[in-house]
Amino acid sequence: MTTWLRRGALAFILLLFAFPFYWAIVASLTPEASLFQAPSLVPRTLVLDHYRALFTERDFGTPIRNSLIVAGATTALCITLGTLAAYALARLRFRGRSAVLGALLAVTMFPQISIVSPLYILLRALHLLDTYPGLVLPYLTFAMPLTVWLLTTYFRQLPGELEDAARVDGASRWQTFTRVLLPLAMPGIATTAILTFIYCWNEFLFALSFTLGPERWTVPVAIALFRGQYQVPWGQILAAAVVATAPVAALVLAFQRRIVQGLTSGAVKG
Amino acid sequence: MNRRDGDTCSSTPDDSLAREERRLGWTLVAPALGVVLLVAIAPLAWTVWESFHHHDLRMPWLGRSFVGLANYRELLGTPRFWASLAHTAFFAVASVSLELILGLVLALAMQRASRGRALIRATVLVPWALPTVVAALLWRFLFQSDAGVVNAVLIAAGVLDQPVVWLAGTVTAWVPVILADVWKTTPFVALLLLAGLQGIDPTLHESAAIDGAGRWRVLTRITLPLLRPAILVALVFRTLDAIRVFDLIYVLTGGGPGTATEPVALYTFSALMQNLRFGYGAALSVTIFAVAFLLAVIYVRLLGADDGRGGSTT
Amino acid sequence: MDSLAAACRASFLLLVLGACGGGRADPRPVVTISGSAVGDEGAILRRQMDRFMELHPAVRVELRQTPDDASQRHQLYVQWLVARAEDPDVLQLDVVWTPEFAAAGWLSPLDRFAPEAAAFFPATIEANRWDGSLYAMPWFVDVGLLYRRTDLVPEAPVSLEMLPALARAAMAGAGAPGGPPPPAAGWVWQGARYEGLVTVYLEILTAHGGRIMDDSGRVVVDDPPGVDALTFMRDAIRRGVSPREVLTWHEEETRFAFQNGDAVFMRNWPYAAALLADSVRSQVAGRVGVSTIPAARGSGGRPASALGGAQLAINAHSDVPDLAWLLVSFLTAPEQMLERAEAVGQLPPRPALYDDARLAAALPLGVRVAREAVASAVPRPVTPLWSELSERLQIALHSALAGQVEPGPALHTAAADMNALLERSGLRYGMNAP
Repeated sequence: MTTWLRRGALAFILLLFAFPFYWAIVASLTPEASLFQAPSLVPRTLVLDHYRALFTERDFGTPIRNSLIVAGATTALCITLGTLAAYALARLRFRGRSAVLGALLAVTMFPQISIVSPLYILLRALHLLDTYPGLVLPYLTFAMPLTVWLLTTYFRQLPGELEDAARVDGASRWQTFTRVLLPLAMPGIATTAILTFIYCWNEFLFALSFTLGPERWTVPVAIALFRGQYQVPWGQILAAAVVATAPVAALVLAFQRRIVQGLTSGAVKG
Repeated sequence: MNRRDGDTCSSTPDDSLAREERRLGWTLVAPALGVVLLVAIAPLAWTVWESFHHHDLRMPWLGRSFVGLANYRELLGTPRFWASLAHTAFFAVASVSLELILGLVLALAMQRASRGRALIRATVLVPWALPTVVAALLWRFLFQSDAGVVNAVLIAAGVLDQPVVWLAGTVTAWVPVILADVWKTTPFVALLLLAGLQGIDPTLHESAAIDGAGRWRVLTRITLPLLRPAILVALVFRTLDAIRVFDLIYVLTGGGPGTATEPVALYTFSALMQNLRFGYGAALSVTIFAVAFLLAVIYVRLLGADDGRGGSTT
Repeated sequence: MDSLAAACRASFLLLVLGACGGGRADPRPVVTISGSAVGDEGAILRRQMDRFMELHPAVRVELRQTPDDASQRHQLYVQWLVARAEDPDVLQLDVVWTPEFAAAGWLSPLDRFAPEAAAFFPATIEANRWDGSLYAMPWFVDVGLLYRRTDLVPEAPVSLEMLPALARAAMAGAGAPGGPPPPAAGWVWQGARYEGLVTVYLEILTAHGGRIMDDSGRVVVDDPPGVDALTFMRDAIRRGVSPREVLTWHEEETRFAFQNGDAVFMRNWPYAAALLADSVRSQVAGRVGVSTIPAARGSGGRPASALGGAQLAINAHSDVPDLAWLLVSFLTAPEQMLERAEAVGQLPPRPALYDDARLAAALPLGVRVAREAVASAVPRPVTPLWSELSERLQIALHSALAGQVEPGPALHTAAADMNALLERSGLRYGMNAP
């Protein structure tokens, strides 16, 4: 009996978690006219109007492209530099490395808002406001520490024997890194890349502050600043929400086991 | 945090090897560290310096003069600041405690679930992964007054006689805010706690059961104490996130009605980016940072006292 | 290593993309204009831009989209102008933004172009002057109006006290025989925490004989008329004349409620008249009357409309200021203003046009009501600090309307804050830069 009760409770919790999505998807497919009638659980008529309007009237493709470029470039930069740093922090012994790790951890605790104005002035001086590099640079503030921290955890988990064996064979530190450790760490690097990408894709405050118009808005900014001439265009907003969620949802569903490991190991070690 | 590194390093017998390793280490760390110094540490230092100045882009004729602690004095004398601080604290306590309780329930349930664990994981992971802005909009839609599903359900269930205008009430506006945050981040807490649960030796539970301890006793006497490190980690991450809350409230309530749901980050944003009071805004920024940092230090102390693993495998 | 290679490729792509953002094939100089770009307003602007390019084939005009929410647009403008961006060259400004942007040095003074200021309503020109120079040209005027359902309330109320009484009577009435039930809401207005709320308050305040600032530049919203005005609005909600939803409503939500037959009275701008008269979209077409908000009895107040509207100004960092002026003077010429009035019902700021038969035909609310409303419209204080002053006022109004604080204490705090702000700014009388 208790098993059934527990299963029932679990199923109920899951339904609660899934319901807002279900509702958003249904509403995004409902014609605007019936969107404000009494809500019904089962949709009566489904139309793709809102999705069509999103790409024809709104040009939602632009924010998607911007988000892909900015999140992709930030992830690529972070993974490149972060892998090198994480290898050193996890596998080499040198004075000051715990201080470096501590400093990176401290940076992850920064409230973003506290560096908005200096970054704004810095980007203005460099003529980088409203450009892609002008978003990638601020994104590094949270993405770089995250990447280094997660990757350091991965490198620490790798067995030391192979590395030792390679060094006995006369390989240099650098060769051991590129030939032995890096291939072993690939799954971890991939997971870190996914997590970093998700964080960048979702970022809002910097994108709101450092872009100057629809040409450079990222997906979250475009959605948040969505207002039509006729009241709040809920149909289109929800369609946009579904579109914005699709890539991260796909990543999460495809790599869920790894993401969970990445999240929890990075956190528990921290 | 890791006290052993330095000693091991200096006691290495082969000095030249150690030097080479050190040089390589710093070479590899330098680019990443340099980037972080440039885009995070330097701006923070600038913010601290700026907070001692009167700098108001709206009033260019006043220039930018050093005013010492005047901005901080003004801040301490501003009721809106204290109110925003109280809102932040309320939001953090309410949402984080709900998330811990629900997360624990969910983690316990997931641990026992024999089948469908992948499905469960997927269902709860998606809210965690989607943009906060999207989560805020979804919940604003659910809590609309005229055609919102929440009002419809509550009226159908007989709880309400007429629709509530959730976002117009100083208390009711918190409901969608906190629920949205709980919905979005409970999964993260649950997964952390699940990882902690899986690390507990199952024989402990079995022997307790043999000794005739009830479920509740097993939970409070064995599971929870052993889960303490995981709970603390979840607490650290969630509290630090909660006191920085911005996106969610910016989109859901805009801080209203009045300023009834305005957290410090939103107040700072309005001082900086709407009123262009860079000096005063910097003082606010430094204050949030100090609060976050203080909490982090306290938590790290608590964590450090709890688990002596350090971080090193060497 | 594949992901490393991919990473390198992506960072290279990033550099290339960043470097060649400015490549253009079209050699014509470009004038960018920012403003309302959606719906009918966007359509009419695009049509006029096209005509301008036919007249001046050597110039290209580009429209830059901005959010429709005024606060968000303001924030975006500030970001542009602080960043010293060259684009957009021409900015559509809210009436209260001109002094702020001018004082900050973000706008180009227009005097050197010899604008024909005398052809405009004096109040609309005064609102665009700062420190003796003219910084923006009035584009269209907005005035707050009281819309009513003539089938339920045939005659406009002659005093403010009649407004809730008439609304309640209509709500309690039987409605038309065989028709829909009477409206659920009595009086709908813009009550969300934004600039629109301040304009509604300004009208009720004027109707009670109060002012936001006195002649010495002190904020006096906590004087008795100010408190009475806010109490009047709060009580309308408390007594069920105005639905609590108004606290989240902007212009469009109120129009929808009124247009669907759910409200007896509505406070809104002139644009709503044309949409309400459209029998396809509106369920109240032919049953709408318009007046100004009446004065409160025995208060020394007067019927009042808040002065709003849009101006066109030139970015101080524009690289093509002369072409920008060409576009501004084209868009603010009588012909374009008449066309705008016909298309979207926005009132022209040139008094001479009110004698034009085309305008009379274009305005469903009647040219006389319109002209009277514009001539007697109440401006908000002209000060570069308005946005920040207004923010404090909005918070006080909204908290009191939500029932969090009593009107008196709320306004007292706001007034003290606002006066402290004015004092700190060093602006004498809140008017001129020292």
